[in-house]
Amino acid sequence: MTTATLILALVVVVALAFDFTNGFHDTGNAMAASIATGALSPKGAVTLAAILNLVGAVLSVEVALTVSNSVVNIQDSKGLPKAELMASGGTMLLLIVFGGLVGGIIWNLFTWLLGLPSSSSHALLGGLVGGTIGALGFAGVKWAGDGSKLDGVIGKVILPSLISPVIAMIVAATATRLIFMITARVEDKFRERRFRWGQVGAASLVSLAHGTNDAQKTMGVITLALVAAGSVSSTAVYVPLWVKLSAATAIALGTYLGGWRIIHTMGKGLVDISSPQGLAADASSATVILASSQLGFALSTTHVATGSIMGVGIGKKGGTVRWTVAGRMVAAWAITFPAAAVMGAVMYWIAAGLGGIVGPLVVLAILCGLSFYMWKRSRVNVIDHRNVTDDWHDGSKPEVVVAAHEVIDPHHELDEPQPAAGPATH
Amino acid sequence: MNMIPLALEGAWKVLLAGLVLGAGLPVLYALSVRGMAMAKGAGAIIGEQTAKPVGKVIAWALLIVILLAVAYGISFIVATGLGKVVTFDHIVPWFVDKPKK
Repeated sequence: MTTATLILALVVVVALAFDFTNGFHDTGNAMAASIATGALSPKGAVTLAAILNLVGAVLSVEVALTVSNSVVNIQDSKGLPKAELMASGGTMLLLIVFGGLVGGIIWNLFTWLLGLPSSSSHALLGGLVGGTIGALGFAGVKWAGDGSKLDGVIGKVILPSLISPVIAMIVAATATRLIFMITARVEDKFRERRFRWGQVGAASLVSLAHGTNDAQKTMGVITLALVAAGSVSSTAVYVPLWVKLSAATAIALGTYLGGWRIIHTMGKGLVDISSPQGLAADASSATVILASSQLGFALSTTHVATGSIMGVGIGKKGGTVRWTVAGRMVAAWAITFPAAAVMGAVMYWIAAGLGGIVGPLVVLAILCGLSFYMWKRSRVNVIDHRNVTDDWHDGSKPEVVVAAHEVIDPHHELDEPQPAAGPATH
Repeated sequence: MNMIPLALEGAWKVLLAGLVLGAGLPVLYALSVRGMAMAKGAGAIIGEQTAKPVGKVIAWALLIVILLAVAYGISFIVATGLGKVVTFDHIVPWFVDKPKK
């Protein structure tokens, strides 16, 4: 066994580990609303999400082999590694990917510990950018592409993360507003029960779309590593079946584990959700995600899902959003990419600096140590399927009250002649 | 920085699709819930005593429309996974290979 083969094995292991963290980090994107409204039991929701993620991942026949191309210059347009990185059995490229994945995992675990829904795609891309900077310097990073299309760090990461939550928020707020107008005369209990069905359907679509989108990123990364190490022919790149199946399994198992800390924040921390709002949030997330992938507009499922949940808080008359929680979340979004990049670069330097197989093994040891430490810390205040739907920990109601009409309807006096508009008067 | 107009162009399309489907389908669902409530009458609609069975017909018609839309959504996800797209070129939606860029 050569050093490159050993490093390749480590890359595959950490890639699947990343996929696993991606699974539990994003369970909440599809299921937080359904769990919060009681449309599904916590265990039932993660089981459904896991199955749909598995199905979605297995369906990803056409895998994005060029996943790294949007942000770094380590592959050509066919998905082949750049020739200059192939020296000494592709070790340099393997170490870039290795460092990037470890950086992404550490950041994913850290934000999970804090219960913050940060973007797993940003963690992965940030990590890869960091690894590339470590190896090739800043010149290896594609900041803006050639300007003819949305590309590079600016076009694929920064702009979409600013725009997509706003879109989701507008769509979800509009849907919420209209739903409550239409069903104003329907009794609360009847409405709450009926909307649960629709909510589960919409949440399922989000899960399925997530499976097809996210698992294939890992598949692409593993395949890139296999090509670099010469295990997959570099003339006809294909994704081996075992890669597909193992990546699909890893994301499904991660989803089943359930990132309860994150689900708690999304489902209970931001907004107190009723089932009509849950349907609005999930329908908005599903359509925004699908429309974006149809139009080739890169975005993060996490940003869309949280934007939708904030939107339903704004859209309901007298609805409220805990803006301090939202603020922490947005801060986490902003630093995810650079933080994962720093982590990726440091990990690359350690791995390449020590050299041989020792370097990667030291990095692996650091990863295991940090993971164990963060898991230990999470046991101080356990959040799991038993207490995930408890009220937000400080027992507060969302503190800043926002009247819906002030946000989305400047002509709110039009709403006044509706005496039968239900109990939502304020 | 000529990417901001490009991003806004993409964003505008996503917003439009989001509003038509992402808000439109929940509106249809809300109408169907209202139809169901009409059919039930007392206990489902505030201040209404008589049940109007026609509500049920409206509700089911709307649900079928929603299910068709969802079926399209699923076939879209599946098609993307298989490297195909759904077209309406032949009136009946069908899968075709994704056009090469």
